[in-house]
Amino acid sequence: MKKAINSADLLLVLTSALMALTLWLVFMWVPTETNQGSVQRILYLHVPIAWGSMMGIIIVAGSSVMYLWKRKQIWDRLAVSSAEVGVVFGGLMLLSGVIWARPVWSVWWTGEAKLTTALILFFVYVAYLMFRAYFPPGAQRQRLSAIIGLVGAIDTPIIYFAANLWSQAHPPTITGPVANENSALGSDLGTVLLAATITFTFLFIYLVQCRYKVRTAEDMIVNLKRSQAVTMTGL
Amino acid sequence: MGPLNKICLALCILITPVVIFTGSLRVAHAQSDLILSGIIVGVETDEEERLTKFAISDSSGVVTSFEVASTTQYGLENQAGDRWVSNQLDDPVEAARRLRDHRRRFAPVTVSISDGVANSVVERYEGKLETNLGYLFSAFTVTWALFFGYVFYISRKQRVLHHEIARLKNSSE
Repeated sequence: MKKAINSADLLLVLTSALMALTLWLVFMWVPTETNQGSVQRILYLHVPIAWGSMMGIIIVAGSSVMYLWKRKQIWDRLAVSSAEVGVVFGGLMLLSGVIWARPVWSVWWTGEAKLTTALILFFVYVAYLMFRAYFPPGAQRQRLSAIIGLVGAIDTPIIYFAANLWSQAHPPTITGPVANENSALGSDLGTVLLAATITFTFLFIYLVQCRYKVRTAEDMIVNLKRSQAVTMTGL
Repeated sequence: MGPLNKICLALCILITPVVIFTGSLRVAHAQSDLILSGIIVGVETDEEERLTKFAISDSSGVVTSFEVASTTQYGLENQAGDRWVSNQLDDPVEAARRLRDHRRRFAPVTVSISDGVANSVVERYEGKLETNLGYLFSAFTVTWALFFGYVFYISRKQRVLHHEIARLKNSSE
């Protein structure tokens, strides 16, 4: 019997198509920016990845609230899956930022507000995952990690507003409600940035659902082992 | 991982480096316009004070003059570091004023030229444009390599876990 295509497969096909389209737009279609030259194209990678990393911690926080409220495993699984994908996005946000900073600012890193708060977000993710890895499994681990996730999410608005609050080397916000009109991108550049953001959002969702499946399988193994142990004790 | 997933991932892995590589080559080709940095030594305007021509002196003292076209773009900073971005069509008078300001301050600019016409006049780049392409290429390559690596890590973990579940189910029967 022919296997039906499920939503995960469709998501992967859509993500792959968007990925190809975005790469084409970035390298073949969008005009080169006057001030920074070609290196400015890193924007179409850096900003969507940063968006993904912030979306990750928001999902962790939202799922944590839902877990603390409903005490259902699905919310805990979603939080940990989102945190793991978030740490990948967070690491890549820092990496792409560092690579971009070198030719534009002549330094790899500066201790300014936007960069420091982004680094803190990465450490929040790492702390969350380390806590999950080393604390004994059980309801207490899930409860405490939910609290860590919630506290960590406080960093998100600080990152978003940092460049506007403390005007330093990092350019002011170019998207969202507090975007600076003077620094807003032109229509072509803005279109490509939007396309890239949509692509990375789909990639984020795809990776989270893959990680969620892994988490579900891990839980299933723990339950199977537990039930086997109970059966053996009963014997 | 189903066959469709495998096909999609294989296509992505094949297409992504090709697009990044050919794209970087295309960008490099687009940047193959002559690029010159130096100090502004002359600014010519018409009777309405619109910029028509300017000249720069490079580090070896060679003076080169350039025509401007309606498409010529500007990205020039004032003494306070505020950047003015415009083009010849929109504000030729301000362009002349900015270039004169640069001449007065001996502030270096970078000009990209094709067929004797300036395509862009911007603050002098800190590094070489050719070197910057390396940064662009590395940023995209490293990012996509890590994403694909992570997808492989997850799919491998998924396979191991499914085997483990099957083994546990068999042993409990």
